Amino acid sequence: MANDHIDITVEPGEVHALLGENGAGKSTLMNQLYGLLQPDEGQIVVNDEPRVFKSPRDAIAAGIGMVHQHFMLVPVFTVAENIALGAEEVRGGPLGWLDRRRSRRDVIETSERYGLPVDPDALIEDLPVGAQQRVEIVKALTREVDLLILDEPTAVLTPQETEELLTVMRSLTAMGKSIVFITHKLKEVKAIADRITVIRRGQVVGTASPDTSEEELAALMVGRAVSLEVEKAPAEPGDSILKISGLVVDDDRGVRAVDGVDLEVRAGEVLGIAGVQGNGQTELVEAVMGLREVRAGAVHLEGEDLVGRSTKRILRSGVGYVPEDRSHDGVVKEFSVAENLILDMYDRAPFGNAFRIDGDSVASNAKHRVEQFDIRCQSPASLVGALSGGNQQKVVVAREMSRPLRLFIASQPTRGVDVGSIEFIHSRIIHERDQGTAVLVVSSELDEVVGLADRIAVMYRGRVLAIVSPDTPREEIGLLMAGITGDTPEGAK
Amino acid sequence: MQRKEGVLRPVRGKRIVAILAAGGLTLAAAACGEAPEESGSTGSSPAAVAAYKACMVTDLGGIDDKSFNASAWAGLQAAKAEAPSVDPKYVASSSEADYEPGLRGFVSQGCNFILAVGGLMGEVTTKVAKDSPSSQFGIVDSSSGSPNVYPMQFATHQAAFLAGYLAAGYSKSGKVATYGGMKIPPVTIFMDGFADGVAQYNKAKGKDVKVLGWDKAAQNGSFADSFIDQSKGKSIADTLVGQGADVIMPVAGGTGLGTAQVAKDSNGKLAVIWVDQDGCTSAAQYCEVFLSTVVKNIEDAVKQAVVKGAKGEALAASPGYLGTLENDGVSLAPFNQFESKVDPALKAELDKLKADIIAGTVKVESANAPK
Amino acid sequence: MKRFWSANNFTLTALSMLMAVVIGGVLIIISDATVLAKFGYFTARPSDAFESSWLLVSTAYADLLKGALGDPAVFSAWFSGEATWQQAFAPISETLTYAAPLVFTGLSVALAFRGGLFNIGAQGQAVLGCIAAGVAGFTFGLPIALNLIVAVVAGVLGGALWGFIPGLLKARTGAHEVITTIMLNYTAGLFLAWLVIQQGIQAPGRSDAISKAVAESAQLPSPGGVLRVHLGIILAVLTTAGVAWLLNKSAFGFEIRAVGANPHAAKTAGISVAKTYVLLMAVAGGLAGFGGATQVLGTAHALTPSVAGNIGFDGLLVALLGRTRPWGTLFAALLFGALRAGGNRMQSFSGISLELVTVLQALIVIFIAAPALVKAIFRLRASRATGLGASLAKG
Repeated sequence: MANDHIDITVEPGEVHALLGENGAGKSTLMNQLYGLLQPDEGQIVVNDEPRVFKSPRDAIAAGIGMVHQHFMLVPVFTVAENIALGAEEVRGGPLGWLDRRRSRRDVIETSERYGLPVDPDALIEDLPVGAQQRVEIVKALTREVDLLILDEPTAVLTPQETEELLTVMRSLTAMGKSIVFITHKLKEVKAIADRITVIRRGQVVGTASPDTSEEELAALMVGRAVSLEVEKAPAEPGDSILKISGLVVDDDRGVRAVDGVDLEVRAGEVLGIAGVQGNGQTELVEAVMGLREVRAGAVHLEGEDLVGRSTKRILRSGVGYVPEDRSHDGVVKEFSVAENLILDMYDRAPFGNAFRIDGDSVASNAKHRVEQFDIRCQSPASLVGALSGGNQQKVVVAREMSRPLRLFIASQPTRGVDVGSIEFIHSRIIHERDQGTAVLVVSSELDEVVGLADRIAVMYRGRVLAIVSPDTPREEIGLLMAGITGDTPEGAK
Repeated sequence: MQRKEGVLRPVRGKRIVAILAAGGLTLAAAACGEAPEESGSTGSSPAAVAAYKACMVTDLGGIDDKSFNASAWAGLQAAKAEAPSVDPKYVASSSEADYEPGLRGFVSQGCNFILAVGGLMGEVTTKVAKDSPSSQFGIVDSSSGSPNVYPMQFATHQAAFLAGYLAAGYSKSGKVATYGGMKIPPVTIFMDGFADGVAQYNKAKGKDVKVLGWDKAAQNGSFADSFIDQSKGKSIADTLVGQGADVIMPVAGGTGLGTAQVAKDSNGKLAVIWVDQDGCTSAAQYCEVFLSTVVKNIEDAVKQAVVKGAKGEALAASPGYLGTLENDGVSLAPFNQFESKVDPALKAELDKLKADIIAGTVKVESANAPK
Repeated sequence: MKRFWSANNFTLTALSMLMAVVIGGVLIIISDATVLAKFGYFTARPSDAFESSWLLVSTAYADLLKGALGDPAVFSAWFSGEATWQQAFAPISETLTYAAPLVFTGLSVALAFRGGLFNIGAQGQAVLGCIAAGVAGFTFGLPIALNLIVAVVAGVLGGALWGFIPGLLKARTGAHEVITTIMLNYTAGLFLAWLVIQQGIQAPGRSDAISKAVAESAQLPSPGGVLRVHLGIILAVLTTAGVAWLLNKSAFGFEIRAVGANPHAAKTAGISVAKTYVLLMAVAGGLAGFGGATQVLGTAHALTPSVAGNIGFDGLLVALLGRTRPWGTLFAALLFGALRAGGNRMQSFSGISLELVTVLQALIVIFIAAPALVKAIFRLRASRATGLGASLAKG
């Protein structure tokens, strides 16, 4: 049962935050409200009138709109075409032609009225994620809705985009619209919500006001006290493990993404890379892992040259890697937990050899890892696609930490992961560091970098602007992330 | 109207009925006719008692190929008209792998006469015939060592020889042409005869009419590699016309229709000699371009064999049937619309030539001829 | 019973076949002039139309079954000594004969599909298998057994080469395998048509397009006579087991499935996607080549331009019908073989065109590809069964 007798009320002009871990039942609840699922019991009342929604069409007619976590946009259509989709302005009867001009005008009008700038003629695939989300919101608003459901809207956004979204939400409520804001991010909830309902395992476990402390909210959500700070002893750095010098890498379009980076990670320390997403961090890590061609420069692992080695050989030389896009690069959703846990070890002892795979040792390994890393699944034979984001990420982390490592690289290790799992993953990373492994963490969440890292490298436009201590004031690091060096000396270079 | 309701009514179990009804919609219009009188018997036809089952396996061309499969089938129908006890049926082969099961299927059905159409079935027919010595087989365009296979072959080169002579005599450009559908003996035998006929004309008249598309000595020439591709027939004809030919004999079934179209578009500059069945019957729309046809009378041969079998006469595997000019198994068809355009002298020479071939004074030979 | 009515794959397949048979029955009726005439006075005496329709359709399908599985009359004749056991088992033999090459080409398509590749080239690969096996079969003149093994291996390698090329093109240049395999199908077919009329290949004394016959020692052993079935079907079952093992238990199979399900994650985990594609296409090609080899060494015994028939394209349907699972593919191939064998008898005895069998095959695949349609017609309860559409969508 995903929802168990939930009561929730949304007042006009308020932001009602629905807080809960991944898999708590938030999305299920909202899908009922939007007509995608039908409740087995209970009813929906809009403006004192009981309503039954058989499809999203009914919900929209009743003034309810929804922006999904995964956007429902056609990449090769323009903004105006996407917004018109499903409610096309047609002239000349049922076989008539699309009235593009009117669609376009509607888009411009709505975007001006709510202060949501969108270019009606841009193709969706050319827009950054934040702008695509704006298109989704405008699309809902053109349907004249009063209640807007935002399902995990910030999961895919950079800090700046998140800030912009919160501003938009404030202006919408000021105009009398109501918003249901689904999230598991405590800071955002505190920043925007008028009321907070916390859901755990399909039930409402409490309501809270925005001035409740983060610790209290987290405890409500997870059901136990959670430590939001990363607890760690001071690092005891050893020898240099990873040495990157003069690295130059291009992105998929052939544009220079990493432009002469020098970095060093020593045994037993965490080097954090901070930066707004899209400043070359992704390409840097992929180049180190042999997933992307190195244009110039060198990468050495304890003196061994990694450039030109296959990804397999790099992984086998004692490198663990957690990719930033979990569902794209991290797991095979059609595979079982057990299979995903050996995805890069399937042809090595004890799991198998070049010819066959030993099913028994794969199964016993899975049993062991599932316990060790607290992976919540029905059985190791469950498909990974059926797991929550946090548990999927634990599968990836468990896999990458299940062999002796010299270097551990984690990109966005807790993106889209619930609070309970974040705590666990962070503690495993520190544990790995304390074992003497060199750790490189890339994250666009500054809190995470500051919490984990012993040294922080700030990247901006493909270069490392500075390497600073985690004690550096947030504002200073924030300025560096925006490319403002001010009086900071030359930095890493 | 009732049917339409059935389709829409969402009750389980009705839907299949609805589909059946929809399938039968075509019948609906005339569904109110009157029932015939009940007949006393339970429906077995009178012929069934002593039926002579004549069963035929087509080659890949299928039953509607307008060529020898169709001719053979027409032969079975004609046999039924003459001997009512004949009960003809056929299976069509969709691949070479179907020949054997087709023949064996008829063996197990107890067919009295099993006809394999086409030389390509020669080996498999021999094989099945050996396994079923009590069944009577027949085969068109092939011979077989088996005593229970009645071969029906045609000395097509004799008639094609006449066609070659006619073409050479009719041609104004001094160039005539032929091409085949596939390089197999039943096709190339036409081309051999055609080339020899032209050579005979050159010898008799001291002329030098050239044959394009076939070199008898080298056994090499133009082939469409298809018996159905009309556009191929068109492009080959265009090429040959470009080289100067004004008479073409396509030995390529339906492919030849493309050539006939080229001739039709040429306004009388190009004439076509058709093969197998008289073109003015089998491809009447192009009658105006058919100078004549090299007729291979499969229909009669099959009919005779089946009628003989139905009467209980033995079908001796040796010598079997050989269609010649003499027994009209092969012939040159009438000139039809070219009747007035062919020089009477040439006609007389052709008649004389035919008599000479029958008498054996003029020898026509081909490596592809039935042995 | 309750479980049957839930929309699981087995039920969907069974109901799809039922639907196809029903529609096929309608087609049989409306293509028969005599029965159709009886519908002309349907309102006056409906029993005539029903009786004759039922007689026609039931006879046709009875012949289909008898031709695929066996004729009870012949079995009883065998028991009373009037027929031989060979005659009794001839229908089963036909079914297995038609099924054998389809198992191989079906496995070829299924395996490639699991690795995320759409191998439309099974036809061309099978043709190359025919060529290599056939040429090896009449060229070397090795002693018995060895000659057969060499010919089969040659067929497998021929197909593997024809699969390797598009695999390499995809890995190196990103050329889509659907395009390249289709082009290679044409190439293979035309190459075969050219090859069989070349000196040294063409049967001596023949001017038509047929090669020398495969040496007896290189032919797949067969009981002979009316029983055309040969060792190929046993090899097919063994190969199915082998492919199932490869896919589910081997390291290479793990790579195939990982690359097929998520090439990005596979690459990130150090699996070489390019290498997997190349190897997979070569193996898939080898399987199709094996199918071609069984066709030449088992049934045809000589090369002709159409010796491979349609086995490659039928293999596509077989793989889809078998839901790209090895054992499913085997059963789908047996079903197709049974339809072909039964269709021959249906055509021969009931005079119903062989094309009906093709229509039945197509209808079954269409219904399986559109599970929603079958579910709606039979009001099945929803279950987690994935339709073909869903399993194809991943590709």
